[in-house]
Amino acid sequence: MAALTATAPARPRKLLASRKTRVGILYALPVVVYLLVLFIYPIFSTLLLSLKSADGSFTLHWYVEALTGVNLSVLITTLRISAETALLSLVFGFLLANAISRLKPLWAGLAMLVVVVPHFISALVRTYGWIIMLGDKGLVNESLAGLSAPGAPYQLLYNELGVVIGTTSMMLPYTVLLLYGVMRGVDRRLLAAAASMGAGRVTIFRRVYLPLVAPGLASAGLLSFILSLGYYITPALMGGPNQTMIATLINQQVTKDNQWNGAAAQGVILLLLTLAGLLLVKLVSSLGASRKKRSAS
Amino acid sequence: MMELRKTLAGRIALTAVATVILLFLALPIVVIVVTSFSSNAFAQFPPEVWTLNWYKALFADGSKWPAALSLSALIAALSTVFSLIIGVTAATALTRSELPLRSAVYALVLGPLVIPQIVTALGLFLLFEPAAMLGSPLAIALGHTVLASPIAVLILIATLRGIDERLEDAAASMGAGRLTIARRITFPLAAPGMIAAAIFSFITSFDEFYISQFLSSVDTVTLPVRVYNSLTFEIDPSVTAVSAILIAFAILALGLVALVRWLGSGRQNSLLSVETATGVATPGGDAI
Repeated sequence: MAALTATAPARPRKLLASRKTRVGILYALPVVVYLLVLFIYPIFSTLLLSLKSADGSFTLHWYVEALTGVNLSVLITTLRISAETALLSLVFGFLLANAISRLKPLWAGLAMLVVVVPHFISALVRTYGWIIMLGDKGLVNESLAGLSAPGAPYQLLYNELGVVIGTTSMMLPYTVLLLYGVMRGVDRRLLAAAASMGAGRVTIFRRVYLPLVAPGLASAGLLSFILSLGYYITPALMGGPNQTMIATLINQQVTKDNQWNGAAAQGVILLLLTLAGLLLVKLVSSLGASRKKRSAS
Repeated sequence: MMELRKTLAGRIALTAVATVILLFLALPIVVIVVTSFSSNAFAQFPPEVWTLNWYKALFADGSKWPAALSLSALIAALSTVFSLIIGVTAATALTRSELPLRSAVYALVLGPLVIPQIVTALGLFLLFEPAAMLGSPLAIALGHTVLASPIAVLILIATLRGIDERLEDAAASMGAGRLTIARRITFPLAAPGMIAAAIFSFITSFDEFYISQFLSSVDTVTLPVRVYNSLTFEIDPSVTAVSAILIAFAILALGLVALVRWLGSGRQNSLLSVETATGVATPGGDAI
């Protein structure tokens, strides 16, 4: 670097700019090279593998296979469970974020701690906690039996209910954090203004509050949907054979069946679904930004 | 909304709903900790008889847990070192320089955080399998770094953005070389952020499951893979104790991050107040 500074003292400003650029490129190099080699290239080779037949020629066979028969029903199950999870974590997330946004700072901080801390505890461990809780003699069934609920103990594990309970608890921190941020950003003077002009509670909620938080709701829902799509641990441990999701299938094909091409095709499908979802999130947030601008003016 | 529902019934309903949802998040964790001290380690709550047997069984002769624990710790330590190197350089590039294609680099960094982990894991499997590196702790650490380094980059970007660049400029104006500035100004101010980045990289690698599972062999089984296996195949009641230890570990790590940030928060302010009080920046001595 010292040599660089000494070369052309005649144009200090230009030199400074180019030196800053050079330093930037130098410092960006490790992350770029690392992720190109260990992230982009592997995904690229997954894509290639999914388009390759046994003799090395181009084929769409693996995609046809991934989108027919049992594999198709797994894909549909994945979409269904993700949609159920997204809906539930959105509703719970909305209720909780709304409640927290009205609490006094100390209580709000404590509540957020309960939301955030579980997020940093291994999903595997939390799933195990649910398995203990939802078993025939677990906390939930025992308390329901204690309340002499009819039909207790209920089958809460190894079915779709169990999976959705588990995945929802994993996605909830994301939706709460996102919605809490959006709700804190709502200008309360707008609500007060609506109230001063005689709008009732329901009207204010529906016509003022909801439109303001709608983009946040949409992106939170989409995000938990996307994150659920590739989820493996909870469905595999808390679901039955009918709750096999696409990540489980990919895992099986690689570790048990040695069917890498099929796994690659399913991985690419999962990737494309995720990217489509992310595109939607971006669309929604830019829509929300323009709406915010309009309401402010 | 604050103005809208001030009725008592509304408040009670709201509190009840919030409490139930918070329990929904917290109970699975509490239940594990309690059950780990129960004589019946499976699916019974609350326990009837208390015991420490599962913790003792962890370290009994022939237990597979210590090996898994030390392997995971080794991999997480390697991954933390890699992530910090990548994180510090990348965050410097993204905050302190004129970088062409900055948004492309930023998108590349965010990539591993939004792409399904199973896809990343599959790709890494296809990369390391032909290289005969399956089961190598180094391969697993390299894989974990793909997920951990973006987190380190993001934390360090926030850290560097929070450091007033005038402090660095002031030091430069008084003749400090770039190394001196980095060592005596930027580094001390960025230290809390670097510790946070290290802790989060470590947790990310330590808890990572997908990549570990794809890249593990019979001899190299990380702790999460061992937990998963014991939940699916081999019934080992010690898994409750392991889970409780993992919970304690995560909470401890978060507490440490909070402590470091709290300790570091006053530093820059004291420096800047010196600047305003005397009109001359005297960085360096006070920073350490």
